[in-house]
Amino acid sequence: MIKDYLPILIQAVVAIGFAASALVVSIILGKAGKRNPTKDTAYECGMLPEGNAQPRFSVKFYQVAMLFILFDIEIVFMYPWAVVFREFVRAHHPVIFWSMLSFVSILTVGYVYAIKKGALDWKK
Amino acid sequence: MMPAIYLEAIVLTLGVLLVLMEAFSNSEEKTPVAWLGIVGLTFVFILTFFTANDLSASPYSAFYHADFRAIFFKRFALLTTIVVLVLSIEYRGVVQKYVFGSRPQAGLGEFYALPVFTCAGLMWMASAVDFIMIFVSLELVTISFYILVAYMRRNAGSLEAGVKYLILSALSTGFFVYGITWIYGVTGQTSLEKIGAILLGLKVSHGPLLFGFMLVLTGLGFKIACAPFQIWVPDVYQGAPTPVTAFLSVGSKAAGFIVLMRVAEVFLPVPWINHKAVTILVALAALSLLYGNLAAMPQHNLKRLMAYSSIAHAGYILIAVACIGSRYANIAVSFYLAGYLLMTLLTFLVMAAVANQAGGDDIVHFNGLGKRSPYLAFAMLAAMASLAGIPLTVGFFGKFLIFYVAYEKGQFLLMGIGVLTVAAGFYYYFKVVRAMYWKEPADDTPVRTSPLTGATIAALAFCIFFLGVYPAPVIRALEGPPSDNPRLLAR
Amino acid sequence: MDESSLPWIILLAPLVSVAVIVFLTQGSRTISAGVSILAVLVSFVASCLVFHAPDPAGVNQITWLDFPALHVPIGVTIDQLSKTMLIVVTGIGALIHIYSAGYMKGDDGESRYFAGLSLFMFSMLGIVLANNFVMMFIFWELVGVSSYVLIGHWFFRDAPPAAANKAFITNRIGDFGFMLGILMLWLATKSVVFTEIEKSLGVSKFENLNLTAATLLIFCGTIGKSAQFPLHVWLPDAMEGPTPVSALIHAATMVAAGVYMLARVFFLVQASPDAQWVIAFIGTITSLMAASMAIQQNDIKRILAYSTLSQLGYMVMAIGMLSKEAAMFHLFTHAFFKALLFLGAGAVIYGMHHEQDIWKMGGLGKKMPLTCATFAVGTLALIGCPGFSGHFSKEMILAAALSGSKWTFAAALATAFLTSFYMVRLFVVVFLGEPKTDAAKHGHDAPPVMALPLVILAIPSFLAGYGFFISHFVPLHGTEAPGFVSLFAFLAFASGAVMAVLLYRGKKEDPIHIGLLANKYYFDEIYAALIRWTQELLARQCGRFDRWVLDGLVRLLSGGTYAAGFALRSFQVGNLQAYAFLFGAGIVAFLWYVVSK
Repeated sequence: MIKDYLPILIQAVVAIGFAASALVVSIILGKAGKRNPTKDTAYECGMLPEGNAQPRFSVKFYQVAMLFILFDIEIVFMYPWAVVFREFVRAHHPVIFWSMLSFVSILTVGYVYAIKKGALDWKK
Repeated sequence: MMPAIYLEAIVLTLGVLLVLMEAFSNSEEKTPVAWLGIVGLTFVFILTFFTANDLSASPYSAFYHADFRAIFFKRFALLTTIVVLVLSIEYRGVVQKYVFGSRPQAGLGEFYALPVFTCAGLMWMASAVDFIMIFVSLELVTISFYILVAYMRRNAGSLEAGVKYLILSALSTGFFVYGITWIYGVTGQTSLEKIGAILLGLKVSHGPLLFGFMLVLTGLGFKIACAPFQIWVPDVYQGAPTPVTAFLSVGSKAAGFIVLMRVAEVFLPVPWINHKAVTILVALAALSLLYGNLAAMPQHNLKRLMAYSSIAHAGYILIAVACIGSRYANIAVSFYLAGYLLMTLLTFLVMAAVANQAGGDDIVHFNGLGKRSPYLAFAMLAAMASLAGIPLTVGFFGKFLIFYVAYEKGQFLLMGIGVLTVAAGFYYYFKVVRAMYWKEPADDTPVRTSPLTGATIAALAFCIFFLGVYPAPVIRALEGPPSDNPRLLAR
Repeated sequence: MDESSLPWIILLAPLVSVAVIVFLTQGSRTISAGVSILAVLVSFVASCLVFHAPDPAGVNQITWLDFPALHVPIGVTIDQLSKTMLIVVTGIGALIHIYSAGYMKGDDGESRYFAGLSLFMFSMLGIVLANNFVMMFIFWELVGVSSYVLIGHWFFRDAPPAAANKAFITNRIGDFGFMLGILMLWLATKSVVFTEIEKSLGVSKFENLNLTAATLLIFCGTIGKSAQFPLHVWLPDAMEGPTPVSALIHAATMVAAGVYMLARVFFLVQASPDAQWVIAFIGTITSLMAASMAIQQNDIKRILAYSTLSQLGYMVMAIGMLSKEAAMFHLFTHAFFKALLFLGAGAVIYGMHHEQDIWKMGGLGKKMPLTCATFAVGTLALIGCPGFSGHFSKEMILAAALSGSKWTFAAALATAFLTSFYMVRLFVVVFLGEPKTDAAKHGHDAPPVMALPLVILAIPSFLAGYGFFISHFVPLHGTEAPGFVSLFAFLAFASGAVMAVLLYRGKKEDPIHIGLLANKYYFDEIYAALIRWTQELLARQCGRFDRWVLDGLVRLLSGGTYAAGFALRSFQVGNLQAYAFLFGAGIVAFLWYVVSK
């Protein structure tokens, strides 16, 4: 069983080895230049950068992104459900249908709440 | 007699209802949300007395148990949530100050609705006997706590607490799930019952399984706030809104303990696990007792003091967990938690009332409370006496049972540490009492409480004394009626 | 009404009275007194009903604590022993309540006083009725509390609070032993109920139970409560309380609780021969020592207090000699005549405007004829004058002493002689001769409310010894004292009385002076020195421990916490990382332990 993991080990060794050797080689071959403020700027020529490098995004951005991911992930649950649905109902019990319905309805409540609270209203 | 699982369904529906009510109502006033929550939960609490607790009939028995202990902890969760809602109403002024929005009471509705979801999670956890089920309910509890801890978003303390709680809790959850996967990897099962059967078949030590169990233990150690996984507690307790702190210290801890009991009862009977696990549990208990009690001594802020006290109490309960195998370990844990609920919630209620007026929750703010509001001071005295474990209060019997179980299992080291730290406990709990009765008040105005808060305080104080004199009802509830109970029949 | 509820009424009536007085009638002294008297009368009547009913067959109890490990009921025992004791406690209690209404008239703390009396009645009845050790211990402590409250009733003076403290603390020492004894029995037999313990002791021998040690520890409770040597020092000081309290608590009932308790757990005494000897020895020592101290006291109440000590010693000795009947018989008669003597002393003190020194009295026989007559009855009963109740019970005690050895008999006889001597001395100095002060010249009899109890008590003080009376209360089957015991007893009584009359008639001051006795064998001084010495030593060690170990620990931890908090607070981000790091470190440590072999 341990043998099965050998390729993973080899890959890990190669990955670490590549990164390490690249750093080592650059230190050996490269010449460290002198540092000055101009050299440290983002662009050595052209306009001077203005403002913060990490500007604040509106919280709306995160909100919508989060809601999107949330409802997106819920859909993922439906795929396996849909795949086994017919077989399951035939073999066992239609409870699987009601389970998913309750799941979706709880989601719907969340959705209604989000809309009502104006979470999806970009301008508000 | 209805199946116990309906209780959770009702609570969940209640939570959804409250959220929708908050979303659709145009009223400025949000307190009705809390009132509806209180009434609804009280209704469910009454329903628990008409619930069937018979195991075989249930189709979900592989992952859902409704034994006496489960029902007991469901009541426990309901009661805690009701008091937390009362506390939230008392505390709403402060939340309002730090959550201003477009409307005066914006955000308060969710503050009242979220504890109901937590409650559903706690109740579910009381019955969960399958790792998946345990995990899902644990997350329902934890995620709602993430929001609640950081609720006062314009308050740096609350935010700091929220971030710390989020990250450390996520870390511990990670370990917890990791542990579950190891156990699943070895046994191929998530149901505790089936894992137990497989475990008893394994005769020699099995490293990966131990590894998984320990990871689960550390994850739970975080929930119950025991050393060395207690590091988050003081900061988070102090920063979080007072009702949430109360909820954390009672609800979250109780949930952690019931899961710990369920898991430990499966793993500890296995001889090769028992040896190491008991050593670990003893170490956890001893560390918690020493750290919690000694570090509480120099505290000046009552909320922070309660945080350390919460660690210390986790230590006491862990003594009984380490003694699993004694017939009464389970009763000792549950009884102690019941007492802990009463005295902790009472402390936080009085604290909220005093802090509302004095503007802070340091011990100095309690100076001369005995003169300003004798009844409040007396209630606080009851809570402190019970926390310290003085006879005629429920805290005494809790410690009595714990020490008895330890005696029975021959855990004399823990008994020794326990007795010493009880003595230390007297010192810091009575700092509050001294402030109330021996210090001069800054001003003479009595502390005002709403009738609801007053009534809750009176009820809790009464229960502390009543159970301190006559603890039988709680024990009866844990063991079931005498006719079902072999121990009582034998007498 | 159901008969099984009667004991509960007896027990709870005084408690209700306490509640009513404390919460409702604190303002009105008269109503408080009335409530308290009513309560004790209810208890008395109920006791009489219980007394006449046949012994109940079943167990009368409710479950109080039902822990897995510990099952404690609240239950009552109704048998001959407790019935007798109920009559004594409630009967004398009722008389003393009535007497108190007169004696305490005009006292500012009258409501508090009656609340205290009712609390005492409740606790004492609890001891009498208890059917298990835990319940008895709780009421045992409650009795201590109420005694504390009542001794310290005049808390604004110097002596009473000190005496109350002394009584409470001295009792604590005995109670600690009592508690340990209970714990030993519980651990061995897994039960605290008297009958169950008795049963399991009879069925099997317990390997892990040192029965002698357990019995002696239980006996420690008696040493404290019944003021036996060496814990006898509190009782004479307790006379600082109001005189009716001295009569009720420190003569007739509470101090007898120790003897009653021994009679209740008599099966333990019977089962451990070694303990019997210790008990008999302690009782003998106490009786002789206290009697000798009494002959040199000048305070009327203190003389009676030492006499009480001495008589309690008699009873304890009788228990040690396995003569439960003799002990209970003497307890019974003693309760009446000692209460009578104390109430009589109270009447004298009342008539003399709170003067207690017997050398400032004299000639009171003419001024207070009724008090004098009843006091004489009490005295004759106490010194065992033939025909009076004390004579009969004392003879039984002497017979019990004889069953031990000739030394105990000699000691008991000497005690009888001394008793006769100091009581006659007291009577002669107080009631005969010429008045020695102005106050004595203007003495007068007590008001009717106080005189009535004296008269009523005088009747059983005289009668209680006769067979037709006592046979209802204490079963004395076939325990006739040998003839020569009676002869010796009479000689002791007569010689003591004659000597006292000859020595003290017409004297203005004490003709004899024995420093050792007057100073009570220097017990107080020895104890004070001992306590000061050990306390200092202990305190110094504790101080050291506190300073170096506890303080160090606390400082280390608090300092550590502060330092860590401070260090972490300055780095907001580092803080959380440090937390996570510690968390991880903890997990790694545990996992390392688990996975390592």
